[in-house]
Amino acid sequence: MLKSFAAAAAALIVASGFGQAQAQDYPSRPITMIVPFSAGGPTDTVTRLVAEAMGKDLGQQIVVENVGGAGGTLGAGRVAKADKDGYTLLLHHIGMATSATLYRKLPYDTLNAFDYVGLVTDVPMTLVARSDFEPKDLKGLIEYVKTNKDKVTYANAGVGAASHLCGMLFMSKIETPLTTVPYKGTGPAMTDLVGKQVDFMCDQTTNTTNQIKSGKIKAYVTTTKQRVASLPDIPTAEEAGLPGFEVGIWHGIYAPKGTSPEIIKKLTASLQKALKDPTVVQRFADLGTQPSSEADATPDALKAKLTSEIDRWAPVIKAAGVYAD
Amino acid sequence: MDFLTTFTELGHNLGLGFSTAALPVNLAFCFIGVLLGTLIGVLPGIGPTATIAMLLPITFNFEPATSLIMLAGIYYGAQYGGSTTAILINLPGESSSAVTAIDGYQMAKQGRAGPALATAALGSFFAGTVATILIALFAPPLTDLALKFGPAEYFSLMMLGLVASVALASGSVLKALAMVVLGLLLGLIGSDVNTGAQRYTLGFLELADGLNFVAVAVGVFGIAEILRNLEDESDREVMVKKVTNLWPSKEDFRQMIAPVLRGTALGSVLGILPGGGAILSSFAAYTVEKKISKTPERFGKGAIEGVAAPESANNAGAQTSFIPMLTLGIPANPVMALMIGAMIIQGIQPGPNVATEKPELFWGVIASMWIGNLMLVLLNLPLIGLWVRLLTVPYTVLFPAIIAFCAIGVYSVNSNSFDLYAVSAFGFLGYLLVKLECEPAPLLLGFVLGPMLEENLRRAMTISRGDWTVFFTKPLSLTLLLMAAAVLAIVFLPSVRKKREEVFVEEG
Amino acid sequence: MQINVKDAASGAIFILIAAWFAFETQELQVGTPLRMGPGFFPLLLAGVLALLGAIILVKGVLKGKRSEMTGVPWRGGFLILLAPIVFGFVVRGFAPLSIPPLGLVPAVALAILISSFASRRTTVFMAVTMTVLLTIFCLAVFQKLLGLPIPPFAGPLEWLNPYVDAAFAPFGAAWAALKSVFGG
Repeated sequence: MLKSFAAAAAALIVASGFGQAQAQDYPSRPITMIVPFSAGGPTDTVTRLVAEAMGKDLGQQIVVENVGGAGGTLGAGRVAKADKDGYTLLLHHIGMATSATLYRKLPYDTLNAFDYVGLVTDVPMTLVARSDFEPKDLKGLIEYVKTNKDKVTYANAGVGAASHLCGMLFMSKIETPLTTVPYKGTGPAMTDLVGKQVDFMCDQTTNTTNQIKSGKIKAYVTTTKQRVASLPDIPTAEEAGLPGFEVGIWHGIYAPKGTSPEIIKKLTASLQKALKDPTVVQRFADLGTQPSSEADATPDALKAKLTSEIDRWAPVIKAAGVYAD
Repeated sequence: MDFLTTFTELGHNLGLGFSTAALPVNLAFCFIGVLLGTLIGVLPGIGPTATIAMLLPITFNFEPATSLIMLAGIYYGAQYGGSTTAILINLPGESSSAVTAIDGYQMAKQGRAGPALATAALGSFFAGTVATILIALFAPPLTDLALKFGPAEYFSLMMLGLVASVALASGSVLKALAMVVLGLLLGLIGSDVNTGAQRYTLGFLELADGLNFVAVAVGVFGIAEILRNLEDESDREVMVKKVTNLWPSKEDFRQMIAPVLRGTALGSVLGILPGGGAILSSFAAYTVEKKISKTPERFGKGAIEGVAAPESANNAGAQTSFIPMLTLGIPANPVMALMIGAMIIQGIQPGPNVATEKPELFWGVIASMWIGNLMLVLLNLPLIGLWVRLLTVPYTVLFPAIIAFCAIGVYSVNSNSFDLYAVSAFGFLGYLLVKLECEPAPLLLGFVLGPMLEENLRRAMTISRGDWTVFFTKPLSLTLLLMAAAVLAIVFLPSVRKKREEVFVEEG
Repeated sequence: MQINVKDAASGAIFILIAAWFAFETQELQVGTPLRMGPGFFPLLLAGVLALLGAIILVKGVLKGKRSEMTGVPWRGGFLILLAPIVFGFVVRGFAPLSIPPLGLVPAVALAILISSFASRRTTVFMAVTMTVLLTIFCLAVFQKLLGLPIPPFAGPLEWLNPYVDAAFAPFGAAWAALKSVFGG
């Protein structure tokens, strides 16, 4: 009975011509942007800033919906299966690439389930330690960690989190496995770092900048090519003698595969405008990051980034032997 | 410490705060926040986290202080409103009001919903006032204390909480213990934090982050209660007819003063701990009251202390949980995480610098807490009559509305249909267990504490390299464990004694 | 000998649940007390629960007092438990039954309609009236006032949304005016 009801309803839409949104008058109603994490986290904040600016430009509100769970894969899966009418979008970070390896069975095919709108930002990370941790600089840290590898503790915010990825990369770079203390989210991990319960961790500038500035924790290096504007005194990993220790938590906007190219074009143009919005630029700077360049805020750049990052992280994750399922 | 300077400084700071909070715009939005919060809290199922997330975009255009004042208002407004539903229809929206539901709902059944609601309002207001002063005076030193709590200390604290929780039960202690353990197990469903391994998820990705608290609470309390009321539909009307007075009697006031004071003290201290202390506050306050009461048998049957103490503790804890957020920029719970997000969107970097860089914001928010609490009490005391009249709405009308609100509320947390199936499943389980005289409150406490207990145990063991003695060598942890042992002794000794007395009576 | 059915049954249920958790732990690494795996703590708890369940069961069988059982509202219970599930099916769609996502209004309306028949005292007229009024209330409060991100109608019913918007337009204008006064 339900089936026939659905069929009748479907016939009704076709007859009334209300089904597919017309690309030229897109958007004609509010757009939903799904962020696959709980409200209040750094990715949620980035999403809300961008959604607000893009919504102003498009003349329709962009409603941010938090679909948290399973390292972002639930939200991504939701968008992969959503209507391809441009009214459901996804803002996801580096986890889009790493979950392709971290999860051995995903409900979607990462590379073939989405169309790309563009990159949003690349949040730098910092290697930080409790304020009274002995090593003075990165060299000292590596030495200390190698000789005391049974004593040192490394905190992270759970499997698949930015701090987990960064830690895996650090361990593989210095070829020393360390004792990891996992937390549920960055908040509690930072609490214990400030409270000197654990020795060091690696986290996004969104979480660390203020703690570093106030001296509650100390920073060794940033994981970027260039120094971070808001932390000018902290050397990059390369400057401090660990080239290749580069991690950025990049964010991109996706639409379900098969969205009309005109709609994508509109969205990309709107994203590029939003990234130049003075408020967005200022808030991103406060967070210790900057908006992606116009060349990066394009479908091609996002696609290239996603592909290369999947290839880059697969061996690191496989070597660590950690899976999320 | 030079107290004179401290107080001059405090006067100056609070003056700054009140001059910010008393701006007409801020007063208006404080009121809107408190009002919205109360409404949301009263609607069963929908909680402050979902609401603040939904309302966040509206605050983009406000001044930072205005936006934070309104969001904070929603938060404690919802805390308060949540107790209203717990008392009226036995439907707690969060773990803290699960305790209030125990005696509050019994009071309502006896026609004393008015005094129960008034007690909750007055207790909350008093606790809120004290907690605000505490924050203003001691925020930084209290933060330092909170940071002394490492994994070992948290584990011991949770153990103390669990041992004490058997006092929640008015029936069999054994069944209460079993319900706690069942709750702990249910809390472990989901991804293992250490390895990412999926536990007991039956292959459902939706369970990867565990069962949704709101779904479990709505199921075991709300749905189960509806089913119980359907058993005999005439039962309910008897209860409504008995509504007598709206205001607590002199005797009630006399009985509530000490519990309010103790609850406030306990809640203020536990609320500061960012690792989940606030969750324990209402449970702990209830336990303390029952243990020191001369008539513990009244608890679970509508004792006013069972409402006064946990409500004060809960509100004090909710307030002091702002301390780690304001002084460190570290969120103690999801609502605080959202507040931090709101601050960032407003261009304020939460962290230790807020108090020095944005004193008018920092003190404005603190001052607004007290104003908000005042508004809350002024708003809610007149509303009590309305709420009580709500009980006269025929149950046939009331329960479909409860179901609809719960469904929307549960869905709004994760936009996930799975959580609704969980509501039904736990409604069934809850009803089954209630029929078998197993009380649901200990189950909820276990459910909330389960993951924390395990995480802190394993974390402590990892940091200590597998040295079990860590729980006994750290003074704070040892103290807490000794207290747990003492509570255990108190719980079992009187019952042993009573049993012996019973035996003697039978023999005699 | 008298058996306390309630104690015996709850003990048995606890044992069963404990057994299920223990069984499911098979796939998990248990580890050692020093290096605990994901299965360690749950297995420990399952053991404790089984033990408690056994004590409750034995006590119930050995020295129970008879306990009264009240009747079970089978029809009402079924409908009440069905309502949230139907809400879930309709709001997000349910592929195995070919139910498309239909949005907030149909989901709420169905949930209310189904649950209202749980009471034997509800007449069809009452149920329909309640459904209409409560659905409008939910739409106004959750979707319009609080901005809940669920569309009133979705999928094949999407064409109804403009009518909803039109109906609420006067309120929207008032809210916008209020916002401009304060938010500036």
